[in-house]
Amino acid sequence: MQPLIELRQVTKTYQWGPEKLQALKGIDLTVARGEFVAITGPSGSGKSTLMHILGLLDTLTAGTYLLDGQDVTRISKGRQAEIRNKEIGFVFQQFNLLPRATVLENVLLPTVYTNAPPPLQRARDVIEMVGLSEHIGHKGNQLSGGQMQRVAIARALVMEPSLLLADEPTGNLDSVTSLEIMELFRVANRRGTTVVLITHEPDIARLADRTVELRDGRITAKARGGRR
Amino acid sequence: MRKLANIAAQAAQALLANKGRALLTILGIVIGIASVIALLGIGQGASNSITGRIAALGNTILTVLPGGGAAAEFESGGAGGQSNPSSSGGMPFASTAGSSLAEKDLAELQAVARHPSIRAVAGVVSASTILTINGHEQRVPLTGVTPAYFAIYGLTAQHGRLLADEDAKEKRLVLGSQVAADLYGSEDPTGRQIKLQGQDFTIVGVLAKGEESAFRNPNDQLYIPAAVAMERLGIKNYSSLVVQAAGDGQLEPAIAEVRTTLLETHAIADPKLADFSILSPQDLLAVTQQVAGTLTALLTSIAAISLVVGGIGIMNIMLVSVTERTREIGLRKAVGAKTRDILFQFLLEAVILTLAGSVLGIALGVGVGHLAGSLLGFAPAITPNAIALAIAVAAAVGLIFGIYPAAKAARLNPIDALRYG
Repeated sequence: MQPLIELRQVTKTYQWGPEKLQALKGIDLTVARGEFVAITGPSGSGKSTLMHILGLLDTLTAGTYLLDGQDVTRISKGRQAEIRNKEIGFVFQQFNLLPRATVLENVLLPTVYTNAPPPLQRARDVIEMVGLSEHIGHKGNQLSGGQMQRVAIARALVMEPSLLLADEPTGNLDSVTSLEIMELFRVANRRGTTVVLITHEPDIARLADRTVELRDGRITAKARGGRR
Repeated sequence: MRKLANIAAQAAQALLANKGRALLTILGIVIGIASVIALLGIGQGASNSITGRIAALGNTILTVLPGGGAAAEFESGGAGGQSNPSSSGGMPFASTAGSSLAEKDLAELQAVARHPSIRAVAGVVSASTILTINGHEQRVPLTGVTPAYFAIYGLTAQHGRLLADEDAKEKRLVLGSQVAADLYGSEDPTGRQIKLQGQDFTIVGVLAKGEESAFRNPNDQLYIPAAVAMERLGIKNYSSLVVQAAGDGQLEPAIAEVRTTLLETHAIADPKLADFSILSPQDLLAVTQQVAGTLTALLTSIAAISLVVGGIGIMNIMLVSVTERTREIGLRKAVGAKTRDILFQFLLEAVILTLAGSVLGIALGVGVGHLAGSLLGFAPAITPNAIALAIAVAAAVGLIFGIYPAAKAARLNPIDALRYG
């Protein structure tokens, strides 16, 4: 079967004036459809850069990126936005909710940028899945951290993306809540969404099917996770 | 299309989430639009009011003034007649000195049979005199007229009669209604004597109240025979002639007739050297409307400056807002908003703000216009054009001053926006 993500010899170089920083030094990475992968490594290892490239928020300097068999290496910003909208769901460390909008409005945010009617039933389903049906009308700023991250997960899933990208999703949560959030990713993954999780916490990375470790812009180890 | 409607809804929600700030942001626009609306309304209202007063002069009445240029006329006719109180030594009445309009000019023009476009002609001698009203000495306009004058201006007698041909050499007098009321109350003064600077005049009648026009109030004047006025003043000429055309369509032919006749009588070959000038109501209308229009344009352009200031205020707040909402913009881009989607949302927010400002401003401007109008004594004319202009200008201000903040928002890189917002 066609892998969902295929990176071949991807490099990313940042340049400030005469100074060059090579954040990624030739990454080869394949993620199969339906996988749950954790990308881990110390800060400065290039994992955030990798996540931005995977999420089409940034372009790579050299190499090839195939997403769902399609070459997305050099596509326009507008096309990137369309793919982010339909195929990729994002979960951030800072939750990034609209504070004055309700849970439902927050979850529906990606659907603003489509021409289809708002999928209200689908939004209610994902809100129920993350266990916030009773809070559907609450404002973003009336929720706890764990609840906010649940809203963010519902928002990431409402467009039924093939890829869910999470950047340190438990970084601002206590350990009990972190496990609850990881369980939600598990549920989404069981329902068919491919999950790529970036974390520097080994305990969290262990909950994935597979761990990819980055160090100084290179993949150092591809280990099986503890679950399988 | 649905996407645009969705983004428009996002823009509206963003503004409603911060109503207090939105209201403060548009204050400059509200004041700017209100000033423009109020000033346009007052200017148009004043112009309408003046136009109405000029129409009251009569649409078919021409005034022939002595001298070549119209400007020179106002100098000698207006100022000389009214403001010369100290020169009353030898002369009982203050008035114009030399004039080119002689008895024979009137006689020529009065040969109506030769001028089918002319209905009637009257000679006028403008002067003034001093009356004691309610114990105060007061300068009152005194007009020497030939009998046709009353018919031309549609003036009728309330008491007694008007001046007629047989009064031409007599010291007889007709009172305007206001002067009669000031001097005698509601009593009919017909037959009484009145002393005008040492001379006894007999009152033969009182005019019914007539309509005021831009340059003449028929109610506050005294009327005596033109010949008597000339004799008292020691002059031989009229201050002006009034000519009534035979109808609305006869105005132009009447002007031509008067010009030809007077050039002939004065033996002047070149019309450019004419020693008289002819004022038609259209000339007055054109001049006053031009003056009113220029004033309105001037005041409105000053008010328009405040719109620019208001627009700069909106731009400042929008720039602050873009900085504050950096993280939100990054998130919107991450979930699929394109550069033009963000641009559209922020531009729309600016335009919604200015349009809301224009609606409030129009309401305020109409209110101020009516208040000012009631203080100044006429109705402001707020036209649909002025309102359409205000809305269009407000939308343009929103677009012009919203484009920079919106472009700044749209250009944000989503990674930087999410990381540092």
